[in-house]
Amino acid sequence: MGFRRLGALAALAVRRVLGRFRTSPARVSMSTVGVALAVGLMVSVTAISLGLASESVVASEETDYWIVPEESNVQSLAVSTGSVQLGDVHRASAHIGADDRVEYAVPVLLELVPVADAVTGEREYVLVAGVVSRPEAELLGLSLRPLTPGDPHYANGSYDGPRTGEAILNEAGATSLNASAGTTLESPRAPNRSFSVVNVSAGGTSTAFGTVPVAVVHLSELQAVTGSAAGDQADQILVSTDDRSVRGSLERSYPRTTVVRSNGLAAQRVSTSNLPLAIAVSGAATAVLVGVLFVATLMGLAVSGDSESLGALAAIGLSRRSRSVLVAVETVTVAVLGGACGLVLGMLGIVAINGAGRATLGLEPVATFDPLLVGLAAGVALLIGVLGAVYPVLLSRRTSPLEVLSR
Amino acid sequence: MDGERAVSTEPSESTAVVRGRDLVRRYEWGAAGLFGDDAPPAVRAVDGVSIAIRGGEMVGIAGPSGSGKSTLLHLLAGLDLPTAGTVTLAGTDTADYGERGRARLRLEHVGVVFQRFHLLPALSARANVALPLVELGEPKSRRRERATELLEAVGLGDRVTHRPGRLSGGEQQRVAIARSLATEPDLIVADEPTGELDSETGERVLSALGDVADDRAVVLASHDEQALAVCDRRVPLRDGKRADDERDADGTGG
Repeated sequence: MGFRRLGALAALAVRRVLGRFRTSPARVSMSTVGVALAVGLMVSVTAISLGLASESVVASEETDYWIVPEESNVQSLAVSTGSVQLGDVHRASAHIGADDRVEYAVPVLLELVPVADAVTGEREYVLVAGVVSRPEAELLGLSLRPLTPGDPHYANGSYDGPRTGEAILNEAGATSLNASAGTTLESPRAPNRSFSVVNVSAGGTSTAFGTVPVAVVHLSELQAVTGSAAGDQADQILVSTDDRSVRGSLERSYPRTTVVRSNGLAAQRVSTSNLPLAIAVSGAATAVLVGVLFVATLMGLAVSGDSESLGALAAIGLSRRSRSVLVAVETVTVAVLGGACGLVLGMLGIVAINGAGRATLGLEPVATFDPLLVGLAAGVALLIGVLGAVYPVLLSRRTSPLEVLSR
Repeated sequence: MDGERAVSTEPSESTAVVRGRDLVRRYEWGAAGLFGDDAPPAVRAVDGVSIAIRGGEMVGIAGPSGSGKSTLLHLLAGLDLPTAGTVTLAGTDTADYGERGRARLRLEHVGVVFQRFHLLPALSARANVALPLVELGEPKSRRRERATELLEAVGLGDRVTHRPGRLSGGEQQRVAIARSLATEPDLIVADEPTGELDSETGERVLSALGDVADDRAVVLASHDEQALAVCDRRVPLRDGKRADDERDADGTGG
């Protein structure tokens, strides 16, 4: 089939679909609404999964790139520790930071550490982030300024430098540990390595379940507590830069790592995190299934109801293949229109979910919009159209020109 | 037109645009039952009809309902295949083609006018007329030009952008006639073209059909005397057979 004929048939199909909204809008509108609901639901669900995935992000506005292990399996913030880690991070960060284009590179180790309550002595779990401190940097919403710059205890890998024992707490951490500036914190995991709170900050990181108790300490001191010192391990390296050309260097600096731009981190997390990925895939699969059933059924009915027109087209000489193309493009057009409406519905859904979460439970935004959702909605709508076209096309192929001439 | 012409002007083998020879179309409804019931009797909708039509000739197939008019029309247009006999259209036997080949044969050589117009409601009159040209792969400019030209020829030059819903029945049928001419076919078949129209409108439509047919062969199936009256020749059918029984020795009337 020539391109010109294919193009003309496709244009004809689109005109027929648009025309049906005027002449017989019931079925075509129902098909569109069906796809719109399916895609809208998928967009909302995927936005929630992006929201969940984003919780594992050690984010700040200054961070432009994250270097994370290629096989990282980070899930939500609460369970993000204990994943595949980067090694030799002090030297690697120093190497990356030496690049003139890079403002700073900070390795971050995240661990859930049991810490004794300063008053009751009861054990509370706190998310502790170990960093090589940079006064200008921010981590988990907390400024690193109160920490002594650098990582003195590391001492070029000998781990025998002076130990600062400094810790910054967020308000949630201070509340749960009954701590304030000057309080000494001890962990049952390392009874002889206490920390002293140097600052309690209003910042912090939130999940759908509230603000997480967070402490920030020097990286080597956390490594010494958790046993990560042997390989100089950390979960990720945060890079701040104004120069996008640095990405190539970052990718070369570490084998088997992934470099993610700040605006792509949530999506990258979805693709590498089990729970959000499962949610996103389930959402997409449900959308495809529901959409295909809707479109196939209603467009099938439309084809049956339109058998006279199809028979007339057959009678005047349109081949079976051309009629199939016509019906297939019509179905895909309906699905794509539905997908566009679904994207809008999904975005409204995100606003509604976040509004409801904030109003009823006081939660931070649960669902996160990512430009990737536009592509996802378009792709799913297209898939629905293609799969949903099979049944109407098969029906249309049974149309005989004799049906119309006999009427 | 008159009875004399009807029995005397069947064309010769060489001048016929379409020729049917000893055509039989039998329909069988179901098979013998599981318990030895007899199969329902087969119906011979067309039974041994021979007919030939030359270019420039308008032939009316007459007869009451159930006489086989539409079936004969389907066979001549290549829409259906005879159970026995042959249809020669544009020099070829329609039975030599599969469905795709016959669709192409119709596209290039046959224009079809339906009783109920069958225009696509979402498209303008011009787009409807241009439909067969889409299948031919004609460029858009050529399609528009040709469709406009044909609509002007049937007196609808001022209705090219109107959708069928905004046209009267007569206008819709004239659009259908214009569509049947889009690929410049050799044969136009019209099944009860005035069946949905009042007599005055029907007359106008038939006049338009006659005006634009030029040297094409036109076969018109109708039980409307007014429609048959404009034909050069009429072929009466009864119970699937030619009621005039005018066949000559070679069975074609030629």
